[in-house]
Amino acid sequence: MIEIHNLTKHFEKIRAVDEVSVEIREKTVFGLIGTNGAGKSTVLRMIAGVIKPDEGTVAVDNMPVYDNVEAKKRLFFIADEPYFFANSNARAMERYYSGVYGDFDREEFYRYLEKFNLDKNRKIGTFSKGMKKQLALLLGICAHTKYILCDETFDGLDPVMRQGIKSIFAKEMEERGLTPVIASHNLRELEDICDHVGLLHKGGVLLSKDLEDMKCNIQKVQCVFNSVEDERKALNGLEVLKKEQRGSLCTITVRSTREEVEARFATVDTVFYEVLPLSLEEIFISETEVVGYDIKKLILG
Amino acid sequence: MTSKNSFLASSRENHKRRVWVWIVAVLSQLLLYGGMMTIYLSRIRGVYANGGFKTPEAFKEGMCRAARDAIGFSDNLYGVIFLLSAIIGMQGFSYLFDRRKVDMYHSVPESKNRRFAVVYINGIVIYLAANLSGMVLGTVIAASQGAVNMDVLANAGLAFVWNLFLFLAFYHMMVLAVMLTGNRFVTVCAFLTFVLYEYGLQTQISALKRLFFTTYSEYYMGAEPKLSVIYDCSLHIWNIKNAQNAAEAAAIAMPIVAKWILIGTVFFGLSYLAYKKRPSEAAGSAIAFPFLKPVVKVAVAIPVALMAGMVVYDTSYQNELLQIIGMLAGGVIFCAAAEVLFDFDIRSIFRHLFSSGVAIVSILAIFCVFKWDVFGYDNYIPAQNKVESIAISADGYYDSYWDENRQYFEKSDFEKENMFLTDVSPVLALVESARGADPEKMSDARSVQILYRLTSGRTVARSIWVDYDDPGTEELLNRIFRTDAFKEGVFQGITDDTSYANLVRITYTNGPARAVIPVEEAGRLREAWLKDMEQFDFTLVRHNRPCGILYFHYGDYNKRQWVVYDGFENTVSALKKLEAYYPMELDAADVESVTVTCYHNELAEQENPVDYGIEARAVAETEAWGDTDYTVSETFYEEEQIAKILPNIYSNWIDVPWGNYKEMDDNYSVEVMFKRDTAYPYERDSYYFTYSFYADRVPDFVAEATAYTGN
Repeated sequence: MIEIHNLTKHFEKIRAVDEVSVEIREKTVFGLIGTNGAGKSTVLRMIAGVIKPDEGTVAVDNMPVYDNVEAKKRLFFIADEPYFFANSNARAMERYYSGVYGDFDREEFYRYLEKFNLDKNRKIGTFSKGMKKQLALLLGICAHTKYILCDETFDGLDPVMRQGIKSIFAKEMEERGLTPVIASHNLRELEDICDHVGLLHKGGVLLSKDLEDMKCNIQKVQCVFNSVEDERKALNGLEVLKKEQRGSLCTITVRSTREEVEARFATVDTVFYEVLPLSLEEIFISETEVVGYDIKKLILG
Repeated sequence: MTSKNSFLASSRENHKRRVWVWIVAVLSQLLLYGGMMTIYLSRIRGVYANGGFKTPEAFKEGMCRAARDAIGFSDNLYGVIFLLSAIIGMQGFSYLFDRRKVDMYHSVPESKNRRFAVVYINGIVIYLAANLSGMVLGTVIAASQGAVNMDVLANAGLAFVWNLFLFLAFYHMMVLAVMLTGNRFVTVCAFLTFVLYEYGLQTQISALKRLFFTTYSEYYMGAEPKLSVIYDCSLHIWNIKNAQNAAEAAAIAMPIVAKWILIGTVFFGLSYLAYKKRPSEAAGSAIAFPFLKPVVKVAVAIPVALMAGMVVYDTSYQNELLQIIGMLAGGVIFCAAAEVLFDFDIRSIFRHLFSSGVAIVSILAIFCVFKWDVFGYDNYIPAQNKVESIAISADGYYDSYWDENRQYFEKSDFEKENMFLTDVSPVLALVESARGADPEKMSDARSVQILYRLTSGRTVARSIWVDYDDPGTEELLNRIFRTDAFKEGVFQGITDDTSYANLVRITYTNGPARAVIPVEEAGRLREAWLKDMEQFDFTLVRHNRPCGILYFHYGDYNKRQWVVYDGFENTVSALKKLEAYYPMELDAADVESVTVTCYHNELAEQENPVDYGIEARAVAETEAWGDTDYTVSETFYEEEQIAKILPNIYSNWIDVPWGNYKEMDDNYSVEVMFKRDTAYPYERDSYYFTYSFYADRVPDFVAEATAYTGN
């Protein structure tokens, strides 16, 4: 487990990360969401042991990570712009990483290269941005570290590649307990891949929750009540996060389980009602609006 | 077999990233050593082909000497070593400037210590391999032409050590420069600052001292940087290259190398500390540690501003107001430029005004300290009981000094090593009498250099102005000149072992007289001279002119000169016994003619006033000066006239020790042509000798004959 406690980092006078506390459990895909400048990369770089926090701690499996070789053996960090040696090819990078990561699986690496149609002898400088990200991901996966930290790594990958990487992640999680930590400024990029999401804003954590929990505990109901009394009766005792009314059609977002909502609406007289699934985006909008933020401005632009 | 994570594996991996540095380093050394060796040897072959060597042995020795110059100590290598240290040092650690590289290198499981050690050691390995390959190539070329002997190899070995530690000193400076900065341009600036800072600051401080302190002296203690590696290697290379053998070269070089090791160690320690503390996020920024920004700004602004002020002062005909303005402008511009550089943003030009203010105030404070002599530099006179001994150099005597190894050294060095006046009271009294004295108002203003050796172990050097015509000064100087310590500190002959002399001769100041003395008589002559030197004092040398100079030769170059006066009865008597004495007076019967030239300086001065002041210089640069030739010459053949001239002239080839220049008339020169059948042993068929008239002793008929009557 990666435990981040009260992590704070300044760049001169700018407070880039402000008392961030998050726990990243093993065998989950942790998504770190935030706008540009929210502090995602800084948090990841501190987790990777690249930069030293001003305050707070980062522990990887109970080990401090900064300048700690043992902790770093469990991490592979893919920066937003991964660095490859000048004039090198995939083979050269493999040789380097297999030198520094004792468990690097060379055979697996070359197998994946073939699968993703990446030429091991071609100069990386001639790769597209997406290909470079694929290569970085493959190097990271084949390093066989427990945690892989991806900074905006999925941005720009085409859907087929995303699916491919997702499959590999799933396999590696299943087989050896890989824990990917993925930072992105785009919520939609993470929707289908993350188990747990942390929302960063202005250096602080706005929320950190399991996606399943969020999905299960927020419901959207579209309905037409027969009377105001029916409406009052249906919503009584439910935590209403949002309510919109167009004519007689009400769209209500409530914090509750699907069963509870259905049971409640079944007892009142409605012309029509339906419990609809929420997208991650809608869940975030609802959650953050409650605490006074306009999520659309934060991460959906 | 090494494990995957072994140091050697990391090292090998790092070398792969430094291939181009390898190529540059090795190629530069191969070309340099191979090229130098080939050129030097071919030069010697060319000389040999033209009959420049008389024997094959001499030719071989010449070849070996050339080989020694090529692979031994050579200032030709300095530039390359300097550049290599900068390139290797910067390239190794420059990944710290690139965030992408930092993200990779600092996230992989490799400790910072390991990474530092790998890059640092590999840098040295690159230099060593390149340098050795160059030296091996040079040696092979030399050996193939029979130009190698033990001396060549020993010298090459020593030079290897010298060059290695020179490289390391610069290398460590560059590594520290990289650690403290975040991009290549600022790194180069920081590197040059480390290399030149002490020298630059000291130069400016010395310039201010020269400008404002009348007692400032560099005679005994030059403003030599103590820690400047670049200054060291340029200062000592001549002595090292000219050493007799490798042991002698080592004796000169090793203390300097030891100092470089110390400097390198300090820079290494600071580099490592900075590396450990350096934040990764410093990549791309100008200065890695923000707290250093004001320190750097103020520290560099001071010498830069002082230099700007001095440049303006020198180019504005010594205008002090303009100097201050130039200094302030230099400081302000530098501070603004530093801020722009720190942020890479022109809008930062007025940022951090407080530190800029501190810099400006510091610059002004330093200027004021010198301008108004805040710490009483010019009034310094140590208490008598605080002075252990003194070395003093009164203007008016010069000699060339050689040590037993044929090495020339300065008079000041000889005095420093040999003059230990323990009766310091006359010197302190002289200094006291000179306090506040204005040389412009003196009859014969002369500078006196003083080196105080204090009981605390400190040495302090000062310069004063004294009036040689002042009776009080003469009395004090007499007390100083009479001491054995003074004589031993000025005249090398006092302590010479004349048994080593291979030639003893005397040249008389009357012109043509000279004699060679049998070397076996050198000891007796020395005893006589030493006895006469007991009467030596300032009054003697001030009011008498030497009748001759004794020269004792030790080998081809080493020559000591002993001044002889007519009053030196013992020496004169010894010379007479050796039939080597000629009286000062000339006999008109020996002279064929006397040509007197009068320059009419008074007329020339009327046309072009001799005023070396600022205004005159300014005028001189803008106006054409007159060039009328007022010179009038007249030749006298009459023996009667010649007899009237000869008692009034004195040879002008000799610098009369502590002499009174006013005793001679510089308006006239006298050429005496001797007859060929005199008793004088003329050398190289030279019968002409030149003289000057004593002041106010120009015979009337001469003055009339050489009067200017116009064209």
